[in-house]
Amino acid sequence: MSIEEQVTLFILVALPIYIASFTLYVVRALKGPTIPDMVLAIDAMTYDLAAFLVVLAIFFRSPILIPVAIVLALWVYALDIYVAKYLEAKEMGE
Amino acid sequence: MDPAWVLVVIGEVLVAIGVFCDLVAAIGMLRFPNFYVRLHAATLGTIGGAFVPLIGAALIAAGCEFLGPYRWFTVGGALVTAFLVLILAPAGSHALARAAHRSKAAVVEPKVVDHLEEDRGGGGS
Repeated sequence: MSIEEQVTLFILVALPIYIASFTLYVVRALKGPTIPDMVLAIDAMTYDLAAFLVVLAIFFRSPILIPVAIVLALWVYALDIYVAKYLEAKEMGE
Repeated sequence: MDPAWVLVVIGEVLVAIGVFCDLVAAIGMLRFPNFYVRLHAATLGTIGGAFVPLIGAALIAAGCEFLGPYRWFTVGGALVTAFLVLILAPAGSHALARAAHRSKAAVVEPKVVDHLEEDRGGGGS
């Protein structure tokens, strides 16, 4: 078995598990009783989505997916900081 | 043995660990009782479920000849993303937990004792 076939087979096995865990995160993000619960679920899901995109970039042989993962990691950190500031001060800052 | 196989196998082991941590963290995120306990699941999901498979994906991409000359772009991007996740995920979780406790947005229920609340003069325990 060549490297290409082996890597493709491995990622094909890993993809459904990723999809299943994203589904569980989305359930918590939708029904989370408080705002920090929703933000925490979206937070963990988006970091995992960045890792998932890098794996997909290998699977589809398209390196153009890599900058998406970097931007996604930075964006969800900004979401955390904005929500934390809003919860403490009840305003979004200037 | 071809050195590319070594890189690919080590990377696949890391990605497998990451997938397992990801599934466990998602189940924990759904089943744990309150926000502060769910922070543990979030830690497992970010460091175990994002940082480790990103390093593994970088190793896989380094060993895959079929990705062409742009595979080093994939390796570098994966390493940069892994570094960002390692730095930003704990900082974001800390800021969120601190804000949730200070603003009382997340109720500590069920709880045994809350020393931080007592130190601020509120009714702990």
